[in-house]
Amino acid sequence: MPLHRIIMKFYAGSAMLAVLLALIPTSASAIPLYARQTGQGCISCHLGGMYPQLTTYGRLFKLTGYTMGTRPDLSELEVQKDAPPISIWLQSARQYYTNVPNGSGPAPGSSMNVQAVSLFAGGKITDNIGAFLQWTGANASGAFNSSVDNSEIRYADRIMQADSDLIYGFYINNHPTVSDVWNSTVNWSGNFMGFFNGGTAPVQSPFIDSYSPGSSVGAGAYLYKDNTWYAEAGVYKSITHGAGSVYLTSGASGTTLIDPSPYYRLAYTKDLGPHSFELGLHGMVSYAHNATAASGGVSDWGGTINTYRDVGIDGQYQYNLDPHYFSVHGRFVHESASFAGDQVGVLTTNPSNTLNETYLDASYVYRAKYGAMLIYRATTGSTDATLYATNTASGSPDWKSWTPEIFWTPWSNVRVGYQYVIYTQMAGATGTIPGQALSPHDFNTSMLYASFIY
Amino acid sequence: MTRMTKILTLSALALALGACSNIERSRNLGNPQVSGYTLAQQVCSTCHGGNGITANGTSINPTYPNLAGQQAIYLETELQEFHDHTRKDPAARDMMWGLASQLTPEQIKGLSEFYAHQKPMPNPAHSDPAMVAAGEKLFVAGVPEKSVPACASCHGASAEGNGPIPRLAGQHADYLYKQMVSFNSDAGRETHPEALERPHAVVMDAISHGLSNEQQLQVAAYLQSLQ
Repeated sequence: MPLHRIIMKFYAGSAMLAVLLALIPTSASAIPLYARQTGQGCISCHLGGMYPQLTTYGRLFKLTGYTMGTRPDLSELEVQKDAPPISIWLQSARQYYTNVPNGSGPAPGSSMNVQAVSLFAGGKITDNIGAFLQWTGANASGAFNSSVDNSEIRYADRIMQADSDLIYGFYINNHPTVSDVWNSTVNWSGNFMGFFNGGTAPVQSPFIDSYSPGSSVGAGAYLYKDNTWYAEAGVYKSITHGAGSVYLTSGASGTTLIDPSPYYRLAYTKDLGPHSFELGLHGMVSYAHNATAASGGVSDWGGTINTYRDVGIDGQYQYNLDPHYFSVHGRFVHESASFAGDQVGVLTTNPSNTLNETYLDASYVYRAKYGAMLIYRATTGSTDATLYATNTASGSPDWKSWTPEIFWTPWSNVRVGYQYVIYTQMAGATGTIPGQALSPHDFNTSMLYASFIY
Repeated sequence: MTRMTKILTLSALALALGACSNIERSRNLGNPQVSGYTLAQQVCSTCHGGNGITANGTSINPTYPNLAGQQAIYLETELQEFHDHTRKDPAARDMMWGLASQLTPEQIKGLSEFYAHQKPMPNPAHSDPAMVAAGEKLFVAGVPEKSVPACASCHGASAEGNGPIPRLAGQHADYLYKQMVSFNSDAGRETHPEALERPHAVVMDAISHGLSNEQQLQVAAYLQSLQ
């Protein structure tokens, strides 16, 4: 489709959103779940309105268990006046691929349409208990799949004495790093705009990044002392579900099953004027069964176990003072993986491997309206001809990418943006990838998107 | 019982215990039984400063004003304005309207008295000495040729405030500057004073109009440097 027609369609879509917004009664704030609970605008909790990045206030809102504010009395909701405690998020996008992941066949295309929809529920339940519950449906590879997305329930208390402030809490959630409040670990980093159509390039990440929402269930506890020291420990395990379970998705068959695996995090934080700093350590030891969930999703806990030890340092810097909002997040994660004896020569060549992940993002928003973001990702690791054989002949997991993005937030619940993922290295090669006729840049992907949340 | 089941059971127990909540540590903005003191500790402190962070009512980020030692009557007026949605500067709309919308008169009074009795702390932010010196002149003498009276004549020689007139000493310069911009918000001021972003500060509307942008920054820098 010629560019001008794409732009016309995009404008038409944006105009429709504008009309929808105009139709929303002004008595109902055009803002989602937690905003309805506190009555506050997005920028209170999200840096420059750039969800999911949290401000210092947003972090404390989450750490105190989503309990600040008012619980709506469902029995007294007035139609057209009060909004129920649910939110909806739509991501509409057109994606542009240079090639397909395995280098064969035509590149996948997409037209400008709604690609993902999320529903949110939760918020304040009691003075100490609150929840974040997300359900997402997306059209992946031609089939609409919906499943439980990031979800957690927290219990939290805050004890303030003359010279101390202690927040402590417990949570149950559905995959590691959902509990993050600094956007420096995997789940909440980046811009939260996903590529839903046609898959992504063959790139490797540490095991901690591989947990998908609903793949596991975890329980944890945390402390935050004097807004300075943070400590958290949790344990995660695959859900034991059988055929017919609502948790069963098309991905359940073949899902790696995880024995109870510990997750931990320590952080030092400091706020100075408009600046906010975080420096921390986090990690997880994952015990993954080699026998996967059997057909139909009935769990099979057999097989030997591979162990993935991930340790990361992570950090955050934020500048939060209107009209300028700036942030940098980063992490470096080292993984050492040990494979069970029966997997050597089958799943892997080596009995153990290492993998190092580097992630950095920087973003700036002016007046909570005009923004730009740059993400850098890189992974290096030991060569393993069997483990990394799928798409490369080199057996190298090394890759690098840059993702520049610009976006515009005309209203606080609408974001329109363009992002471009540029691969500069793949399978250890910067030029032609061994065993393929393609170069890293053949996997470059871009996306024009509109995000609407209400 | 497997390990995981035990963990889940214990967590469920903890959650059940949570149902017996402690009103002394409530963050519920819709419960009139929660005291102003509790709200100050559990909610307001998150932005305006509290124990273990700095001191009560001494904020770190300049987006949020310092409240320690502020005049109780002034605080009461502002909270009422947030409650009634009559104070309309952008930060008030985004952050305070919702939080204050269900406060009772008792809670507003409790909050105001609490912050008025906290000890104001010196502002650690650096201010340019030249700006501070220029600001001091404006504060003490005003700008007679523009009919701008000395700030000190209402706000007090030490900018300590007086009843409905706020304390300004040690306040964040960025916050003060943004308020002066708000006083100047133009829409329909001649015929509809209620259209002003801060209609209760209608006196400041006229005064801040006589100050140039540079002068507003200077006086803000001076006030921030005061203890």
